[in-house]
Amino acid sequence: MSAIAQAVPRHRSRRASSLTRRILVRAKPVVGLVALASLTFFVVLPILWMLTTSFQAGDKMFQFATEWIPSVWHPENYPNALSRGAFPQYFLNSGIVSLAVMVGNVIFCTLAGYGLAKFQFWGDKVVLLLILSTMMLPLEVTLIPTFLVIHKFGWMNSYQGLIGPLLIDAFGIFLMRQSILSIPTDFIEAARMDGAGELRILLQIIVPQCIPALAVLAIFSFRDSWDQFLWPLTVVSIDAFRTFPLGLVQFGEAYGNPATEQMAIAVIATIPTFLLFVLLQRLITRGFGLSGLK
Amino acid sequence: MLDVGSRGLASESGSATAIDLAHRQRLPRKRRGWSLRYRHRIQLWGFGFVLPTLLFLAVFKYGPMLWAIDLSFHAYDIVSPPRYVGLENYRLLLADPIFRETLINTLFYIAGSTLLITVVGLALALAINTGVPGSRSCMTIMFLTNLMPILAVCLVWRFLLHPYGLVNQVLEPFGIGRINWLTNDSTALPAIIIVTVWRFAPYFMVVFLAALLALPADYYEAAELEGAGALRRFWHITLPLLSPTIFFVVVVSALLSARIFLMPYIMTGGGPGNATRVLPMLIYETAFSYMKMGMAAAISVVLFAIMLVFTALQMRFFLRREQVNS
Repeated sequence: MSAIAQAVPRHRSRRASSLTRRILVRAKPVVGLVALASLTFFVVLPILWMLTTSFQAGDKMFQFATEWIPSVWHPENYPNALSRGAFPQYFLNSGIVSLAVMVGNVIFCTLAGYGLAKFQFWGDKVVLLLILSTMMLPLEVTLIPTFLVIHKFGWMNSYQGLIGPLLIDAFGIFLMRQSILSIPTDFIEAARMDGAGELRILLQIIVPQCIPALAVLAIFSFRDSWDQFLWPLTVVSIDAFRTFPLGLVQFGEAYGNPATEQMAIAVIATIPTFLLFVLLQRLITRGFGLSGLK
Repeated sequence: MLDVGSRGLASESGSATAIDLAHRQRLPRKRRGWSLRYRHRIQLWGFGFVLPTLLFLAVFKYGPMLWAIDLSFHAYDIVSPPRYVGLENYRLLLADPIFRETLINTLFYIAGSTLLITVVGLALALAINTGVPGSRSCMTIMFLTNLMPILAVCLVWRFLLHPYGLVNQVLEPFGIGRINWLTNDSTALPAIIIVTVWRFAPYFMVVFLAALLALPADYYEAAELEGAGALRRFWHITLPLLSPTIFFVVVVSALLSARIFLMPYIMTGGGPGNATRVLPMLIYETAFSYMKMGMAAAISVVLFAIMLVFTALQMRFFLRREQVNS
């Protein structure tokens, strides 16, 4: 709160304060709060709808007046949905893939970001541009050849096939580089004078100072992988490796599965990213300043 | 709950004390004595840190992109070996009305969602930045739209945009009839744009807010003394100072929307007709429904060209900033 309060210019009335003016000044925050709160309410309305629908009876979906508080609660939608289809397996697969992608990004983006921020070597500027320019080569663009590469590797229907192409993202490298740039080079040189090895410098001096950036990197790489649909759709064709988005679409298309249960799965699928956000949020908001191009 | 910026610096200066000052004083004398071999060894470490990434990008980014360009000159169905056809794929694409419609849809979608994401993101950030009590909680709550899996977003909004859905319920008092948003030619793509904005604008709101909080307060104090109103302060101080962030948001959201696949795939399946078919969808269908890998590669090259424009803009901007900083 303090950070925001400081940044907001104070509106001091230099004129003698009349009664109406005093009322207006008092009313202003209240009016603002009401406006902002109702705006927020409209923004989150779809999320509330998802929650309430997941507890609704199956036939209540398409009546014109939404029943915001279910007249009869149906918590059994959750176990019912999980028992149709192989959802525990799908969620496990999504979890394995997303955690692996998150760890891979955290490790390799830190290494590359450090190498680009604090070392000079032949061609370092070119390497930086080469890496950043891969932001224009997302999987959607390279889908066909990446599929053929994975096919050649024999990685169809496997975890390595799901994880491989997502393991390093240029945005993460950029984020880490910007964060590490702000650490004084003196620290590194002083540690070198003390005889610390390069890896020890990275782990004990660099990493502790870019925790906020690492938190941002962790949550966004996890979320992007958790969200990934097109790539699993391309490389996976058997239940054993299906991730939850594929399973959920299949579930929706299959005849007779109530949409309320679909919403129950959607609620469950929101929980991991939400928990990660709650865990890391103090760090995340600090790291956000970095993501907006310093 | 959410405090953006300003605190990061404190931790840096805090750990400075951990390192003995004497070492820093000794540094310049010692450095002259460093051998060339030692410097080379450090350079090698730096390169070694970047090497895994370079190998990865060679295998999964540059290699595939070059392969896609090569493949776009071939006819290939995976079963039989590729056959060189020259520019035939591109010629067929240009003559194909579905491709042209898809291209126009994609450009319309990119333009619409980029514009709205930027405007709405900035407007939300300004609203939060007024410092109204409870504004930070509002921000945290709005950020939730960003944590919902995109698939869940698509499924929920598909119901909300249904003729009997919530959107029509909310609009009914305003005398707007029951529109079937997703099956109507003229509303389907705009509806998808609205859902995109709903999902992504709160993220850029936080990016904008971080930038707003970093603006120098003395400009505003001076302007207020001069008697400049809120609107003029916004127009003459906030907007110019914020232009780098606005540029960043525009480019990033344009790159983001060029990749759209899941929303039309789930919400409309590309329909009605081809009204919401976008390039990534067409790539996927051409490759895996019709097994025309060469043709799909040619469409990928077109999508790549679109992204190249935005990336080039970003690079120019980035390089200019690097020069200013160094």
